[in-house]
Parts: sequence; structure tokens; C-alpha cells
Amino acid sequence: MPFDSLRALRAMPLVNQLPKGPYYGILAEFATPADLYHACERVRDAGFTRWDAHTPFPVHGLEGAMGLRRSPLPWIILVMGLTGAAFGFGLQWWVHASAYPLVISGKPFFSWPAFIPITFELGVLFAAFGAVFGMLGLNRLPMHYHPLFRSKVFERVTDDAFFISIESWDPRFDSSATGKLLESLGARSVELLES
Amino acid sequence: MTAERDHVALRPEQATIPPGHSWNRVPVIGVVCAVVGAVACAILGPSNPKQFFFSWLVSFLFFLSLTLGALFFVLIQYATQGGWGIVLRRIGETTFAMLPVMAALFVPVLLGLQDLYSWTVPGAAEHDALLRWKAPFLNVPFFLIRAALYFGIWSFIALLYYRGSRGQDATGDPAVSARLRRLAGPGIIVLALTQTFASIDWIMSLTPHWYSTIFGVYFFAGSFVAFIALLSVVAVAMRQAGLLDTVISPEHLHDLGKLLFAFTAFWAYIAFSQFFLIWYANLPEETIWYKARMQGSWLTVSLFVIMAGHFGVPFFYLMGYAVKRRGSTLALGGAWLLAMHFADLYWQVMPTLHPEGVRPSALDVAAFLVVGGCFVAAASWLMRRQALVPLRDPRLAESLAFENV
Amino acid sequence: MTRAIRDGTNALLFKLEAGNALAQTEAELLDNPVAGQPTLILRSPDFHSITEAVAEPVERRTPIGWWVFFIPSFALLALLGVAVSWLFWEGIGIWGLNVPVGWAWDITNFVFWVGIGHAGTLISAILFLFRQKWRTSINRSAEAMTIFAVMCALTFPGIHVGRVWVAYWMFPIPNQMSMWPNFRSPLLWDVFAVSVYGTVSVLFWYVGLIPDLATMRDRAKTRPRKLAYGFFALGWRGSVRQWHHYESAYLVLAALATPLVLSVHSVVSMDFAVSVLPGWHTTVFPPYFVAGAIFSGFAMVVTLMVISRTAFHLEHIITLRHFDYMAKIMLVTGSMVGYAYATEFFTAWYSGNPYEMFTFLNRAMGPYAWAYWIMVSCNVISPQIFWFKKPRTSIPILFVMSIVINIGMWFERFVIIVTSLHRDFLPSAWGYFRPTVWDVSCLLGSFGLFFTMFCLFARFLPIVATAEVKTVLPQADPHYESGPEREIKDHQAARPARGAPEPAPEGAS
Repeated sequence: MPFDSLRALRAMPLVNQLPKGPYYGILAEFATPADLYHACERVRDAGFTRWDAHTPFPVHGLEGAMGLRRSPLPWIILVMGLTGAAFGFGLQWWVHASAYPLVISGKPFFSWPAFIPITFELGVLFAAFGAVFGMLGLNRLPMHYHPLFRSKVFERVTDDAFFISIESWDPRFDSSATGKLLESLGARSVELLES
Repeated sequence: MTAERDHVALRPEQATIPPGHSWNRVPVIGVVCAVVGAVACAILGPSNPKQFFFSWLVSFLFFLSLTLGALFFVLIQYATQGGWGIVLRRIGETTFAMLPVMAALFVPVLLGLQDLYSWTVPGAAEHDALLRWKAPFLNVPFFLIRAALYFGIWSFIALLYYRGSRGQDATGDPAVSARLRRLAGPGIIVLALTQTFASIDWIMSLTPHWYSTIFGVYFFAGSFVAFIALLSVVAVAMRQAGLLDTVISPEHLHDLGKLLFAFTAFWAYIAFSQFFLIWYANLPEETIWYKARMQGSWLTVSLFVIMAGHFGVPFFYLMGYAVKRRGSTLALGGAWLLAMHFADLYWQVMPTLHPEGVRPSALDVAAFLVVGGCFVAAASWLMRRQALVPLRDPRLAESLAFENV
Repeated sequence: MTRAIRDGTNALLFKLEAGNALAQTEAELLDNPVAGQPTLILRSPDFHSITEAVAEPVERRTPIGWWVFFIPSFALLALLGVAVSWLFWEGIGIWGLNVPVGWAWDITNFVFWVGIGHAGTLISAILFLFRQKWRTSINRSAEAMTIFAVMCALTFPGIHVGRVWVAYWMFPIPNQMSMWPNFRSPLLWDVFAVSVYGTVSVLFWYVGLIPDLATMRDRAKTRPRKLAYGFFALGWRGSVRQWHHYESAYLVLAALATPLVLSVHSVVSMDFAVSVLPGWHTTVFPPYFVAGAIFSGFAMVVTLMVISRTAFHLEHIITLRHFDYMAKIMLVTGSMVGYAYATEFFTAWYSGNPYEMFTFLNRAMGPYAWAYWIMVSCNVISPQIFWFKKPRTSIPILFVMSIVINIGMWFERFVIIVTSLHRDFLPSAWGYFRPTVWDVSCLLGSFGLFFTMFCLFARFLPIVATAEVKTVLPQADPHYESGPEREIKDHQAARPARGAPEPAPEGAS
């Protein structure tokens, strides 16, 4: 695919480091989730930071093997949910007690039990937005271009192949040594990707 | 295959209370509490019999709801073939094995029928058309027959499951699990129906003119939350005491925390449904029950204890990941919810006696000591004589290795 | 000629034998639930064969069978279009509604469709929270079913308002008189609840689809397909750092969808329960409606899955075990519905309220008794068959029962709505409702909308959540030991030795 500078900029990490040469990084393919799991533990222990694993489905425990911290998403969702609930309750309170108060079936203007259903629904709606858009934001999706898509073997990542990719931005990256390390960890194939 | 079945996942020593352990003294503590409470009741009771019977009813219902919640929990575990909870199942089995004890503790309620239930007073129906209408159901002989039926059925199911599980400790026979699993479905249905009518008989008929179709579900929700809370507290206490600390893991505690969270929300949903529909339609024949619970200091109880205490606070407290996995924080949540469940039952029963407001009495404490002391003494005595987990349940290994997602 | 017949017969016998062998393996594996984990996906496939099995039907040319389902559905959808247009032109009078029965088939259909939607969310969300791995074979289709059911449901409140040109009065905005809608009304809670439910369902379904869309993108042979799938796949590349946040979002969405499901059908039940009508105003309605919704929803899932698994040759992914579990859930929720019937009936007597008692007697013995007894026999009596294993794992029985249950649940809503309305407090205000051809057209048309959407879904998108199904295969576990030792263990776990001292438990349930 043609190198679009704007899209490539988005694919770059936010850290201000220059790429170490003409490569994006190394892509290693593994046969099974078990192989990938053990390899990830070794890569993590070797001190790499700018790397990632790729799987067709979430592999149990792999976040631990990669040393990832817990996702901050639940906090985002909680805040959004509370905002939605507050908004819903506030809207109803304002409408029925202030903007256009009407006596309906003898209920008081501020009839809070009757406000609960909509408060709850809006809380859930906003929380769901927080979950989905928060997740997309944290994952920097949509990102339709990524250097990894240039690899032919990478097409099978959504089918049945498992990968580790180490970016050249990583301080411990070395175009030959890193490749040999991944091979020693049981990689089925190792590929150096141009940037 | 036989060789696999012979493989025991736990040694008996890992799962019993060792001799000399402090927990061996718990039955004595229970008996002492019961005796102290009984003496207090004997002294204070005769001058205020109505208060005594109401206090007794609340404490009785509290411990009964723990046993029924336990029975539901274990039956559901069997029916759904859930693997994670097997290490905790014996605690539930010991709890519902107390049902025959609860039958004995029901006797004071029978003695106080006329103080508790206005419809049992002779001549009550003379000037009350509604009570005359309900007389085919609300009459003392049928009430007694029903009570006997409830305890008979509950004890039968409880002992069937208790004996089955205890027996499996010795033989390791998987056919026991299969049989108990098959009976769990019908068991749940029978339990649901008997529990519904028991709650109608013993709580709803305190206000004989009032009715609510969701009441049985409400009682179930409260008792299930209470049992999970009890399970959390007991599991954590066992770990702290050095029993089962290699058996019950943070994963199990996490699952208990999730169940506690979910069923607290479920309880709130049921409680709110009942309140809301009655509030909204505003029909006097239904609102009397809530009106009584919003008068005087009962309103404060309704808002701060029932709403905020039983739902608001635990909901946000139990949301956190870490809270559910740590024993101390989970046990705190469990203890809080047990107290809230007691308050809920108090709030359901007491306004019949004290419509003007909350009137705490020493008899509340005394009755709790008697019922609770007997319950704890019997349960802990049973615990001493058995393994603390189903040692040879075929799926014990799976439960031991359980890991949360 | 004889050779052709012989070949054909051999092929048929081979197919039957293969089918029998499959059924036999399944039957063996269904038994002995005590030892070990159940085998969820048959024929021990690898990851690639799962992808192939699910994606290939979407990629090949449209088979004739698809048109066989699509054309009648589309015809019914056209019927819906005609009926709704005529309804807007002429008014509500073309339906059979009249005083005193102001709500009949319109709201029955609304509650029916919303109820059906709930099973999808239960399968996606609640079974996920309970770690029930078997949900992975059916959750994609179930979630799609939810979305289409909500579409059908929303049609009815939309068209039944009468003055469609002021339908915007339902939205939370002030109208031209600066007047706001009545937020205290359950009808407005419905608007919020069902639209939130629809939105969250679409979001949940879409989030689950992203990895599978990426699969379709990577397999696409033609540029338009690659662009289309690729656009919606958002550039997903299976990065574990992305999966990490994704799993977190999925878990919380499931945790949110669970109370949402309960709240939506509770709010729908409150349309009736907040009133003062006997038979409508009763506190058990919220949980009772939710149980009934799940009951009918699972029945519809069973209907759809029986057809889909055969049409797409996915019998090894959507197995008899899955149907066994679904039948058990139907048994449980059907029993809850029966429990509610019993409590309502008892309380109607216990309350001493003459109107309440009359309503229940009228249901069973009045002019709509025929509807009542259809309801009881379909909802309470017939599901009892699922206590036994054979009916739970027999595809023909499951298919017939699923339709019977849905008929029963439609009649339940009809009985609740119409019997309380047609004879309430004053005998002088009593009436009898009869549906017109336009009532029927709207109902049939709504099925047209539902099945049209489902056909389109099945045509263009993978109907099984392939990424999720792969996670339940034994080899997906990073601690899985492969090789000959594993095979022996698997073999022993799956087939208990014949002549072993303790026989595997068999028989009822």
C-alpha cells in the first residue's frame, strides 16, 4: 500500500523517538497459543517495552504473560454512567418541578420514584457509550492502516496464526539479534518489516 | 477410570478442624449466648409478651432465611452443575442442616400466635368481612398443618442432600452426585412454593388485609443475599483461622463477591418493584403496608437503612475488583449485608407492633441471642464432626483449581 | 439408471450413517456430566476449520435455499409496508380496537417482540457473566435476533399512536407549546428503555463482530468485499494490547446489559402494572414478565438455530448439547412463569377483592377462555416435556415445541391485555374485541421484517462468533498439552469404559 504520511503518523507511537533505521520492526509467527504464551513471558522478561502479541482470539492469561496493567476502562465507564444517571434525573426534576409542572394523577411535582426508570436507563446508555467509545479510543481504533498489514503471513492473524511483533523503536531492538531471540523462542517464521 | 475416581484431591486433615483449634470452642460460646438470652427472655418476657413474640419472630425469620438461602444455593449448584462452588458447598449444607433445629425454634411463635397475628384472635372475623373471606386459608388449624408441611418438606430435602453429600465423603460414589443433581430441579420448585407460602403465612399475614404477589420473591431475594453474605463471612473467617486457607482462594472470594453484588442489586430491584407499583397506583388497600413503614422514625429506617444501607452503600462498595478479592473487605461487606437483612426483616415485622416508630427493646437482643446461640452452637458442633469440604466429590479438583476470568 | 440409483442410495445411506455416527458421538458425550468438562465443539476441529465452516457460507454465491426463505419474508415485509401505509392514511379504526379494548394486537405484538429480544441479551451477557462457554456457538445469532426483534417491537408503539405526525411528542424535547412529555408515565419509560436496549444491543453486537469482520476482511477475495468488511473492522489486527481493553469493555457491557434486560421488560410490564385494573395491577409483573420474555426468546433462538445449523452445516458447532442447555433454560423460565400464574391466582382469591377474582375467573371461563387455555397448555403443560433428556435433544421435538411456546407466549400477552380491558369494573362498559385483517397483516408483516433482516444477516455476516468459539476449543488454552498423552486422556474422559463397575447415569433428566 502507498505510504500515506498522515496515516503513518497516526500509526506511530506517541513517544518522541526516532525510528532506528529503515525497519518498522520484527514479526514472528508461532504455531499455538501455548508457544506464544511462553514466548511472551520470555520477551517480557528480556525487557522489551515496545512490542505486542497478536492472536485471532483472546488467549487466557496472555495479559499477565505480557506484563500488561489493568485497563482503566472501568473507571471511564463508571464516570460516564454516573453522568448519564445524573443527567436523566436532573432533566426530569427540572421538567416536572420547574419548567412545566403539571399535576398528574395526584403525584407530587418532585415524584422521585417515578424518575428512577429513566434515570437508570440513561445511566446504562451513557455507560455503554463510555465502554464502546472508550475502548475504541484506548485501542486507537479505527486505524485502517498499520505497517503489520504489509506482511503476507499476517493475514492469518484473524484465522489461526499467532504473532509477536517488536517495534524498532524499542531501545533493546536490534535487527539481527532480536530476530535470533524470537527464533530461539520457537517462532515458526521471523520477518523483518520495512517501515 | 476407577483409578481416577479413587484419586482424592484433598487429604481429610486439610479439611477438618484440628483438635485444640479455637473453633472447637464455638459450640460452647453458642450455648452460653443461648442461655444468657433465655434468662433475659425469662426475666423480661412475661411483663411484655407481645414484644417478646415479635422479637422472637424477627430473629427466627433471620436464621430461617439463612437456612432457606443455603438450600436454594446448594440445589442451584447441583442443578446447574456449577463447579466453582464445591469447596464452599459444605458450609451451605451445614447451614441448611439446621432446618430441624429451626423447626424446634418455631415453637415460641406457635405459643405467641394470638399476640402476633390479629386474625388468630377468636372473634376477629366477626366484624371484619375480609377476614371472614380469608378464613378458609387464615385459620389456625390450617396454619399449623401448613407449618408442619413446610418444616417437614424442608427437613426432608435438607437431610437428603446433607446425608448424600456426607455419605459421598466416605464412598466417593459419583452416582450420588448424579442422583442429587436429578432431584435438584423438582427440589427447587417445591422449595420455591413452600417458601412463598411460608412467607405469606408468617410475614404477610401480620397485616392480614394486605397482599402482594411478589412477596415470595422478595423473601427469596433477601434470604439469598443473606446466605451469600454468610458464606462470605464464614469463608473468610475460616481462611483467617487457618482452616481451608489452601482450599478457598481469592478466586472463590471474588466469585462470592460478584454474587453478593449481583443479588444485592436483584434484591433492590424486587423491593423497588413492590414499593413502586403500590406507590404509583396509590390504592388504599395496598398502601397501608408502606404507609405504616413511612410513619415516624420508620421513615428514617426506610430511607437510610433499607434504601441506602441495604442497596446504595453495598452496591458501590462491592463494585471494586480489589474489594471482592481481599478477605477482610469482602467479609466486611458480608457482615454489613447480614446486618441489613436483619434490619429488613425487622422493618417488615415490627411496624405491626410499633406503628408509631422504631422502639428497640432489650428483648430484641435477648431473642437474637437465644435463636442465634442455638443456631451457631448446633452448626459449629456439626462442623467439628465432619469434613469442611466435600472430600470426594468427583468435581472437587475442578473447584480447587478454579480461576476467575 | 440402476447404477445412479445405487450410487444415490449409497450416498444417502452414507450421509445417514455419518449423521447417525455424529448423533451417537453426541449422545455419548452428553452423558456422564459428572466427570470432566463437556465437549462443546464436535469433530475436534482446529482453528482454521472453524473459520472455514462459518465464513465459507457467507463467501460463496447465494444458494437457492436462502432465496426460499428470503422471498416469502420479503413478501411479508411488503405486506407490513402496505398495512402500515393504510393505517397511517385511514387511522387506527382499521384495526379492531374500540372502547373498551383500546389496546389489543398492537401492544401484544410489541411486548411479544421485546420479549423475544431478551433471550439474545441473556445469552450474550448473562451467560457470559456465568462463564457458560456453550453460549459462544449461538450468541452472534442471538444478538442479531435481539436487534431485529427490537426493530419489530419499536414499530408497534410507533404506528399505534394515531396521530403519527406528532409522534415526536414521545421524544424528550419540548413540543411547539413548550410542553414536555410526561416522564412519570410508563409509556415514556418504554421509549427510553426500548431505545436504550436497542442501542446497547447494537453496540454489543457490533463490538463482538469486530474481530470476525477482520477475519472476513482478511479472507476477502474481491476488492469491494475487502473494503466493506475492512471499513467496519476498523483496522482490527488482533493485538493483545487491544484485546485487553476489548475484553474489559466486553465484560462491562455484559455487566450493563444484564440489569438492562431486567429493567426493559420490567418497564414494559409497568405499562400494565402501574394501572389500577384488576389483572394488570399486581406487584409480581416485573420479574414475571422478564422470565416470560426469556422463555419465549429462547424458543425463538431454538427455532432459528435449528434452521441455521442445518442450512449452514454447522451441526458440530451448534450441537445437541447446546439445545439441551437451551431446553433446560426454557424449563426453568417456563416454571417461573407457571409460579407467577399460581401466585396471581392464589392472591386473587386471598385479596378478597371481587374485581380481581372476577378477572381471573373470567379469564378461565369467560368469552376468551379459548385463548386462556391455549396459553396454559402451551406455556405450562407442554414445556414439562423438557424434564426428560430425549425431548431436550430431539431436533424435531425442539423445533415444534419452540413454536408452540411462542404461540403460548403471544397468547399470554393477549390474554393479559384484552381480558382485563374487555370486562373491567362497570358491566355497562364491557365489550368484545375481534381482530381485523389489518391486525393480522401487521403481525404477519412483523414476522416478515424479522425474517428478512435475519436472512440478510445470515447472508452477509458470519452467524457464529468464530473468535469466541475458538476460545472454547481445548487447544486455545495456553497450558494445553498436545501430543499422544493428551489424546489418551481425552479419549478416556470422553468414553467411560464399558463394563466399568459404576455405570454412567442414564435415564430421565
